[in-house]
Amino acid sequence: MLGRGLKRKLSDYEENMAGLSSAFDSSRNLPYPLKRQLVLNMCLTKLQTYKMLVEPNLHRSVLIANTVRQIQEEMRQESNQQPINVCPGITPSTHSYAGIESSGISLQLPSGISQQESNCCDLRSVEDPIENSLLIVSDDDMSSAISSILKDLDFVEDISPPTCLVPTGDDQPKFPENTGLKLEDDRQDLKGAECVFGSFEISNSTSYLKDLAIDDIFEDIDTSMYDSDFCCPPLAPPRSPALATEEPLKTFPSCNSSSASNIQICRTDLSELDHIMEILVGS
Amino acid sequence: LLPILQVPVLRPMDLMVEATPRRVFANAHTYHINSISVNSDYETYMSADDLRINLWNFEITNQSFNIVDIKPANMEELTEVITAAEFHPHHCNTFVYSSSKGTIRLCDMRTSALCDRHAKFFEEPEDPSNRSFFSEIISSISDVKFSHSGRYIMTRDYLTVKVWDLNMENRPIETYQVHDYLRSKLCSLYENDCIFDKFECVWNGSDSVIMTGSYNNFFRMFDRNTKRDVTLEASRENSKPRAILKPRKVCVGGKRRKDEISVDSLDFSKKILHTAWHPSENIIAVAATNNLYIFQDKVN
Repeated sequence: MLGRGLKRKLSDYEENMAGLSSAFDSSRNLPYPLKRQLVLNMCLTKLQTYKMLVEPNLHRSVLIANTVRQIQEEMRQESNQQPINVCPGITPSTHSYAGIESSGISLQLPSGISQQESNCCDLRSVEDPIENSLLIVSDDDMSSAISSILKDLDFVEDISPPTCLVPTGDDQPKFPENTGLKLEDDRQDLKGAECVFGSFEISNSTSYLKDLAIDDIFEDIDTSMYDSDFCCPPLAPPRSPALATEEPLKTFPSCNSSSASNIQICRTDLSELDHIMEILVGS
Repeated sequence: LLPILQVPVLRPMDLMVEATPRRVFANAHTYHINSISVNSDYETYMSADDLRINLWNFEITNQSFNIVDIKPANMEELTEVITAAEFHPHHCNTFVYSSSKGTIRLCDMRTSALCDRHAKFFEEPEDPSNRSFFSEIISSISDVKFSHSGRYIMTRDYLTVKVWDLNMENRPIETYQVHDYLRSKLCSLYENDCIFDKFECVWNGSDSVIMTGSYNNFFRMFDRNTKRDVTLEASRENSKPRAILKPRKVCVGGKRRKDEISVDSLDFSKKILHTAWHPSENIIAVAATNNLYIFQDKVN
């Protein structure tokens, strides 16, 4: 584990995230698609968190959005190249899932933290099917969700154009005469911008996401393809490995999506979307 | 009755230090300001935020002159921000600015009023063997500094310090690893946001040594001529005043020697982001959390 950092409120969530990112860093057995999924989840969570801030950090948001786009692009290219595969049924001894639930943020990530060696070996042996199944990203919905988040990174509205003058012949550039007025507008813009971000109330409760009324953003997303009966309940976090092994181990379902019957979607993608929706809609 | 006049009396009091602004240059930035740089003409200076750079005259506080603007028409298309900017030490028309994509642009204010087109563009091609999900994030430049000679620029990104020759745009002439042992910890550092820490870097007076900070109250110095480097610690617990600093070493897996510190024991909340080097003497200032340390060469 890394050294001490500042303790924040969502301590449970963070401990679990720290555990997963440690696993990412230290485990060589974690399949690439799982690593990518983990990073993607972290990015989306951060973007969501930054949206809540009164003064969002543009630099960080841009870097994270770029990372999301890069992962998305990679997934898209892979899904174009790979043939669409049937999700194999995986024997119960293979996978254990760790659910992380904390006050409105529900992230379900496949846990590569293998306390038992058998998990490691099994992960390796089923790597190809997992990889194939995870690469099936007909995630138009995921894309729209990401675009919506990016679009909604409504950075400070800056209406006034920058002042720019051609310098006169002598050394001193002439400053515009109407700067006074422009500066007044800027001040009002700033106040307006502060109002935009000020409307995000940072409540003391840790379930701040529930206060968001952002249903409108996602009303155009069609999630009918992902409506399904199977929905994995969140399991115990990785710090209780004994429990994890006893939990009913999940198998990849036989796919029975209502539309586009030739597209078979894996449960990880489904739960991923479910949980993105949960985060964003605050249900 | 006449009031009795009293002779004013001087009363000793505790020293009070109060910072008061002498001039305020307001309302020219809508994004977070990351740099200010005084020009060699000592009449103007520039301030840079995420998307714009403005030029000011010291005597004029309510007007500025926009010289760089990278804001796209549609904010959704934004993929790069300005991270640092500095004027050339001798040529008052020349400045550089760095970006979140690891590039540096050198601009000449004589070519046009709005320096949209750079005169030079410095970028190192990516090393495919080091590629990871966090490659772009760690390539973001946190600081850019001209050498005193004006011939080189130094940039700091998350893991390295690079020295560039102004005449060579396609790659740096020197690269120094500040704390490469963190490369295998990037996911954890991303999770706790440490990966976004912005470290500064400085030249010594003769441009022969460069210095930058790290974690665990460590700071690093690199001698460009001898290629030797040293890791030192700014901490009261581990050194007495006037004692010579002992070099530190971080142990990367395997056996840990007696005085070494393992990567997992590093304290990431103790980061040295700001350092300064006296322009001519070997005296340095190091900011560690809420303490300021001043170190100097051993005085005989």
